[in-house]
Amino acid sequence: MPLVTDDLMAPDVMTDPHSYYRQMRELDPVFFNERWGGWMLTGYDDVVQVLRDPDGFSSDRMRFLARELSEADRQRFAPIFDVLSQWIVFRDPPDHTRLRIVLNKAFTPKAVERYRPRVRAIVGDLLGEIEGKGRMDVVRDFAYLVPLTVILGLMGAPDLDRDLIKQWSEQLGVFFFLRADEPRRREIACEGVTSLVEYLTPIVEEKRAHPADDLLTALVAAQERGELSEQEVIATCVLLVFGGHETTMNLIANGTLALLRHPDHWERLKQQPALIESAVEELLRYDGPVKATVRWVKHDVTVGGKTLRDGDRALVVLSAANRDPQQFTDPDRLELTRSPNPHVAFAHGIHVCLGASLARMEAQEAFLGLTQRLPVPVVATDELEYHPAVVSRALKALPVEF
Amino acid sequence: MSTSQRLRITVDLNKCVGSTICVQLSPSVFALNDQRQSSVVDPTNDTAANILEAAEGCPLAAIVVQDAETGQVLFGAKDAAV
Ligand code: HEM
Ligand code: HEM
Ligand code: SF4
Repeated sequence: MPLVTDDLMAPDVMTDPHSYYRQMRELDPVFFNERWGGWMLTGYDDVVQVLRDPDGFSSDRMRFLARELSEADRQRFAPIFDVLSQWIVFRDPPDHTRLRIVLNKAFTPKAVERYRPRVRAIVGDLLGEIEGKGRMDVVRDFAYLVPLTVILGLMGAPDLDRDLIKQWSEQLGVFFFLRADEPRRREIACEGVTSLVEYLTPIVEEKRAHPADDLLTALVAAQERGELSEQEVIATCVLLVFGGHETTMNLIANGTLALLRHPDHWERLKQQPALIESAVEELLRYDGPVKATVRWVKHDVTVGGKTLRDGDRALVVLSAANRDPQQFTDPDRLELTRSPNPHVAFAHGIHVCLGASLARMEAQEAFLGLTQRLPVPVVATDELEYHPAVVSRALKALPVEF
Repeated sequence: MSTSQRLRITVDLNKCVGSTICVQLSPSVFALNDQRQSSVVDPTNDTAANILEAAEGCPLAAIVVQDAETGQVLFGAKDAAV
């Protein structure tokens, strides 16, 4: 028996994953977790090695998941598989490369910089409503609205119903982020995916009829050039709506919590807004939205002196790598000026987050707005709860007063 | 195809995460090294337009492109330029 629990969903692990993964790394940075059925990688160098090696490690998690289901279940969950198996995040080269090159242009650091004024305005509007109230739920009243509004604008569908989309994305999130407290998670996710596809399809067709200067039009154009299939266009729209806000929302919420637990840092950022870039990198490192990702081993490969076998799976623990003392001095300390800060909150290698520049810019504007406009808030609850999930670090709510 | 303007291309290895985007966009100029990070194998072996597109495509803004004669920064972080 290991000295630390092998239950990745234990309540203590949910509240404080960082202490748990530190113990795990100290025990064994390349640990085979029988209960989860795979390797847990918690050291920085090992995590980077795996993420940079798409020949040794597959991201085609859908294929492996499908293999574990009965034929009946595969039929039942077909809507999910049809969409998700098209997602870039689950593809290996060469399909991954083809999709990434098509999508990359819209998400380069230079391209997203053009949206900064719009993001600043969105943040300003939201805070204008919040400012006088003296209290808010950071998750519901602020963190989710910023990225969702931004991604819809970027796609060229600014007027879509944000509440509906939020609801379907949450249903989809039940599946992705392993909210294992929900036994019906696959059914729920199916409903979410089906609703999103039905909702987005006519909007894509509209872009085909009336091209504009936006991301959806670019996807349709790529399809017409034969670079994407029709399924990939719709699936990518779903991915961008979903991936485009759930994670950024969690960064804004987790980062706000970290800052208000360090009121001196809040004040410092207010006095020195020029620190914002390194501050956001540090918040990503300190308590990022994605705790881990999964890879499947494609051929025997050595990691940290151990042999991972063809067909094994590995939990690549990003938040553990981000607090590895061999890479970061004083890793459990929040240090807004940390430099260099080669964290892996957006992963590494070919699947490095497509939306990283956008998420960075949104978070910079969100934290600038918050610290400039509000006094240091205090948490207005005795108990903060996280969604039970291995992958995502997501507060259920963050009620504060200020 | 080669470029008439001589370029100096630098990759900041503190930033490069090995996305391979530059390698896809300008494969005769960029290649992955043993660490699977980008390195410049031949700065003359593509058009300036393609090289600049590769630099711009880098998700980490790790690539700086300069005019080799004048040192003028054509793309990338000014402070990163050597
Ligand atoms: C702070 C916010 C975000 C974080 C922490 C984050 C994190 C990540 C991580 C860790 C991956 C790699 C997954 C893997 O390799 O298994 C990833 C991939 C991806 N992310 Fe993000 N993400 C964020 C925001 C966004 C946004 C705003 C978008 C879209 C607009 C986005 C779109 C994507 C896409 C499309 C991929 C797949 C890329 C590929 O496979 O090449 N993400 N993200
Ligand atoms: C952006 C869109 C993403 C989608 C759509 C997505 C989707 C999925 C799906 C469908 C599953 C299978 C769930 C199941 O086993 O029932 C899954 C599992 C998982 N995903 Fe994602 N994911 C996304 C992003 C990420 C990111 C950014 C990460 C983390 C970096 C991530 C990490 C994982 C992990 C760790 C699992 C567990 C797999 C397992 O236990 O076998 N995913 N994801
Ligand atoms: S595009 Fe940037 S991050 Fe990707 S390999 Fe090239 S230099 Fe590295």
